[in-house]
Amino acid sequence: MDNLETFIENFNAAVDFQEPVTITADTKLESLPEWDSLAALGVIVMFDMEYGKTITGEHLAKAVTIQDLHQLLG
Amino acid sequence: MATSTLKNVRLAGMASCVPKRIVSNLTDCRPQIRAERERLVRNIGIETRRMAPEWQCFSDLALEATEKLLDSLEWKKEEIDALIVVTQSPDYPIPATAIILQDRLGLPHTTVAFDVNLGCSAYPFGIHLLGSMISAGGIKKGLLLVGDRSATLNDPIFSDAGTATALEFDENAPPMYFDLNSDGSGYKAIMLPVGGHRQPFNVSHAIARKDENGFWYSGMDLILDGAAVLSFSTQRVPPAVERVLEYAHKSKDDVDYYVFHQANRMINETIRKKLGLPVEKVPSTLPDFGNTSGASLPVTMTARLHETLANGRHRVLLGGFGIGLSWGSAIVDIESACFPALIES
Repeated sequence: MDNLETFIENFNAAVDFQEPVTITADTKLESLPEWDSLAALGVIVMFDMEYGKTITGEHLAKAVTIQDLHQLLG
Repeated sequence: MATSTLKNVRLAGMASCVPKRIVSNLTDCRPQIRAERERLVRNIGIETRRMAPEWQCFSDLALEATEKLLDSLEWKKEEIDALIVVTQSPDYPIPATAIILQDRLGLPHTTVAFDVNLGCSAYPFGIHLLGSMISAGGIKKGLLLVGDRSATLNDPIFSDAGTATALEFDENAPPMYFDLNSDGSGYKAIMLPVGGHRQPFNVSHAIARKDENGFWYSGMDLILDGAAVLSFSTQRVPPAVERVLEYAHKSKDDVDYYVFHQANRMINETIRKKLGLPVEKVPSTLPDFGNTSGASLPVTMTARLHETLANGRHRVLLGGFGIGLSWGSAIVDIESACFPALIES
């Protein structure tokens, strides 16, 4: 599994935040202003291209925190 | 079937027509905050789109493209043996738009004309269908009309266009190679659920509701599962492209241009990167013409390559994918074809 720090950097780029945000393992996805359908597509592409891992919209819907997303890497 | 070869079919020319009206995702559409609109445009890669006025149908755009193409080719109308329309924006639920266009174009009664219901994947399927009729020997000259009228102000993706492609019987034409696929288990990913026989329209479908993002939707609107479409496109298209290349015994370098359906930037860039293709070989019309459904391949060839493809010989790989779910690729050599500049109507 990739380390969490790099994962968060990739997540930041994938979501394309308009203002810088501080993200930790416990950050709730719902608390992020840009956590929308566009961000979900960016994160699916990130899993595919950066980690060679296929995830679906259902995987994202079940994830509550950044840690949950990170664990999808398996 | 998956892979197949067509012989004796020449792509003689192509014309594309878009509405004059330009809609900007930065100034004309939601969301309300400029920075959010900029983020949207940055990620989907679509800044402006073409939107037909209320009176203008897909068939009106396709008719203009066809008239221009026939004129440029100097083909006589009585020579046209077949007219296939591939659209999901027919003039009426019935009868078929192709038959109405047979009359509007002044084609003879001996022209075989019918519609096919395909969307974003349409182009390689349409080339294969008309090409098969020509290759079989009975049809000498045929027209393939592809496109849709799907632009709205509510969604930032879709854009309108009508296109015409001319195919003819030619014993010296290089072979065309195809890989065509379907997966109906994903039919709900892009869907207009109301108005058919499974769920007939009733007045309750016309009542709009506000969703969690503040958008108004009624039962008559298109349903699009963005995550499912993205996963489908980026997982299925690259291996299908590799498969048709292998089947045709061609390397990636043997192909001059890779023309893909213009879905959105995230999908198209992922496909391009997975295949390791250089940007200059993969033309895009997403920034200025958005997602023109099945017309996106001919629109992209017309808008970006029409001067190049009109001279010399070029090998083009055509990749369509989308609603159905359905995806197909074709390798077509285009030599000194007739490519009028983009028409605005």
